[in-house]
Amino acid sequence: MKYEIVSPRIGTPGDEYEPVEGVNVDALLAGGFIIQSPNKAPKGAKTKTDTNEE
Amino acid sequence: MATSTYLSSPVVTVNAVDLTDQCNAAAITRFLEALESTAFGSSSRVYVKGLENSTLTLSLYNSFALTETYATLNALVGTSTTVTLKPTSAATSATNPIFTLTGTYLETLPLVNGQLGALDTIDIVFTGGVFSVAIV
Repeated sequence: MKYEIVSPRIGTPGDEYEPVEGVNVDALLAGGFIIQSPNKAPKGAKTKTDTNEE
Repeated sequence: MATSTYLSSPVVTVNAVDLTDQCNAAAITRFLEALESTAFGSSSRVYVKGLENSTLTLSLYNSFALTETYATLNALVGTSTTVTLKPTSAATSATNPIFTLTGTYLETLPLVNGQLGALDTIDIVFTGGVFSVAIV
């Protein structure tokens, strides 16, 4: 799970947040200090459409 | 003569959130329980070290704005977290150590402490956890 900094009270907004031992990440999420980084879906394999009608 | 004068620079973090600009008093105190070990033949009481129960006390201006005091503390009450206190904002060093309580417990959270014509301020205490000090 990756997190992104939102509030400058945590670090530089936009940077990835690396959870530190002892820090309550759920509280940071609830307070709006960080957000979960959007997971990019892997690109699917391109499929050729058979247009050759016989 | 050694003195420490605090004008404006101590740095306070709660759960990795920098609350320095909302804090006007901070005190970290090491407390190690005293276990009495006085035995027959002793002419005075003697003690040995027991469990550590250190505390960090903060006075904060209350703010319900986004990512301010309330947003920082609301989800922490009744849980354990990490807090730090550094005497000045200068780089951490042997003369400016950073004190940390890891796994310290927030038992109570005053929500509103309103008074006509005064800023809303709250006092909170983090209790217990593992104390450490770093100089780098």
